[in-house]
Amino acid sequence: MNTKPFSPYVPRPVTLVEKTKLSDFVTRFTFEQDNGRPLAHKPGQFVNVSMYGIGEAPFSISSPPRRTQNTFEIAVRKIGAVTSALHELKPGAKVGIRGPYGSSFPVMKFVGKDILIVAGGLGYIPLRSLLFYQLRHRDEFNRMVLMVGTREPKERIFVDEIADLAKSGDVEVLETVDMPDETWKGNVGVITTLLPKAELDPANTYVAMVGPPIMYRFVIAECRKKGIASDQIFVSLERKMKCGLGKCGHCQINELNACIDGPVFCYTDIEAYQEAI
Amino acid sequence: MTTYTVYKEQLPGLFEKWSESYALYVPAKLREGFYDLVPWKRDLEIAWDFDVAYNSPKRFLFPPREALITFNRKTCEAEPVFEAPPQILFGVHPYDVKAINQLDQLLETGSPDQNYVRRRAATVVMGYEPLTVSPTAFWASVGAASAAHGYDLYWTKIGPAAFTVEVGSARGEELLSMCGPLVPSTAGDKEGARRAKARVLFKARHNGLRYNWEETPRLLSKSWDSPLWRRYSQMCLACGSCNLVCPTCYCFDIREEADDQLEEGVRYREWDGCMLESFAKVAGNHNFRPKAQDRYRHRYFRKGKYIYDKIGELGCVGCGRCVRACTAGIANPLKVFNELWEETAHEH
Repeated sequence: MNTKPFSPYVPRPVTLVEKTKLSDFVTRFTFEQDNGRPLAHKPGQFVNVSMYGIGEAPFSISSPPRRTQNTFEIAVRKIGAVTSALHELKPGAKVGIRGPYGSSFPVMKFVGKDILIVAGGLGYIPLRSLLFYQLRHRDEFNRMVLMVGTREPKERIFVDEIADLAKSGDVEVLETVDMPDETWKGNVGVITTLLPKAELDPANTYVAMVGPPIMYRFVIAECRKKGIASDQIFVSLERKMKCGLGKCGHCQINELNACIDGPVFCYTDIEAYQEAI
Repeated sequence: MTTYTVYKEQLPGLFEKWSESYALYVPAKLREGFYDLVPWKRDLEIAWDFDVAYNSPKRFLFPPREALITFNRKTCEAEPVFEAPPQILFGVHPYDVKAINQLDQLLETGSPDQNYVRRRAATVVMGYEPLTVSPTAFWASVGAASAAHGYDLYWTKIGPAAFTVEVGSARGEELLSMCGPLVPSTAGDKEGARRAKARVLFKARHNGLRYNWEETPRLLSKSWDSPLWRRYSQMCLACGSCNLVCPTCYCFDIREEADDQLEEGVRYREWDGCMLESFAKVAGNHNFRPKAQDRYRHRYFRKGKYIYDKIGELGCVGCGRCVRACTAGIANPLKVFNELWEETAHEH
């Protein structure tokens, strides 16, 4: 048997098994690792997906860790060359992946505590991994609150799933949209308008948030106003990631590399970095 | 440390021998005032008094474009690509040896960069004490006047036809002895080398930081909001020349190409530059460093603070290449750091 010399840049093949449309531009992709092994990721981590001949791009893993299955999910917005090519794929097609890479949400810190999950726009995609991992071990956690903010009703993703969560009683769900249309009956306003609606116990609440860059500053300020300490707030920061190995320099946040030091950061650790939030 | 004395007339024989099994690069004059390391050939005139090689030695260890993998689009299988030609870099000034040491530290730690590691292992570095100093250089003031390690041999010209050669590795000593027995340097020759170093250091001190270089990270931590960043960067053309010529810049992009049948392809990395407008731009066109000032400041923080915080040395070795390459005349770590020092001096 020939053993290939190791290179961290060599992706491994995975096969698309399912494709589900989530909104006009967002699709969920379920892949199966050809090597038959579970992906063994942690909530908040990402994979680099290779569309050979087009390019490679990082995507948050949307499924909770699975120890017995070799499948995992990503949810992708069609916005550039790689993501458009992904949308063309049919089940059975193969792509390459590297990873999982990056830091993850410290789930063990949340045991016995309240968790507030704040998802702005596509931020629900990575948070879903954390949410369903916690739900699998629901009795280990105290209150679970999910806040979802979307720009327009038609951009909402995982609509049925979120409705089911609300019905299940395991999670308190609060939703809002910035720009309602005639179909929308719920809250209207940016995601920060949801925070005053939830009665939180600041000493026992951890916060996990993912959203567009503009969201963090305002949600963090609201959380701090409620008395939640900086070290109880966890954010996942998007940056341009290329190598995923802390070398290529694109994803730097001051001296941190979002790909290896992040993407999940405790707010205390990045408060002092001007480029972070 | 073992030091031998080698005479000029021995060099053609050595070069000849080395070039049989290595790609050998030596300093030569391209045109008035421009020098570079070029492939050695017989009768090539060596520019012993070159002040700085226009391009930094990083290109030999980290080529501008380097294949990482080959792939098959149909099967989705990929193979690693490693190229590591044996090569000798003859005539690397100490500040550039320092720059190589820095690349070693940054690329070989964490997830080791396998492509770099292999090229580096196949590369023999022959350091060389400069005789002249580039007008834009300031290496003597940033702790880069000498390199304690990182070379296989270190050459110092001690007269019109003689060199002392310090041995840095067994590989270096073996290469040096390929044309016959070696003569250990006399105390006199060693003294000659010491003086040569003192002479060039004296010249190098004409230009320098006005403060101890180790203060740079502290100085920068007070300078995030300095008006200097805007003052300089408003003239930035975002051309990335400073990144290209810098011996310690190693940021890269990853791209790929497929053949005309779209079956096989190669994924490669290519030098990128943090001064380019799109460097931190993500899908959806959000740019995390939208302004020239953000990008310009990032480069100086990286050189003066971020790298220092990691390895205890400045990310700038004072070669002065960016000063020369910048078309807008704004890339100048010496001027920037000195001005920030003046600005913050009253706070001490």
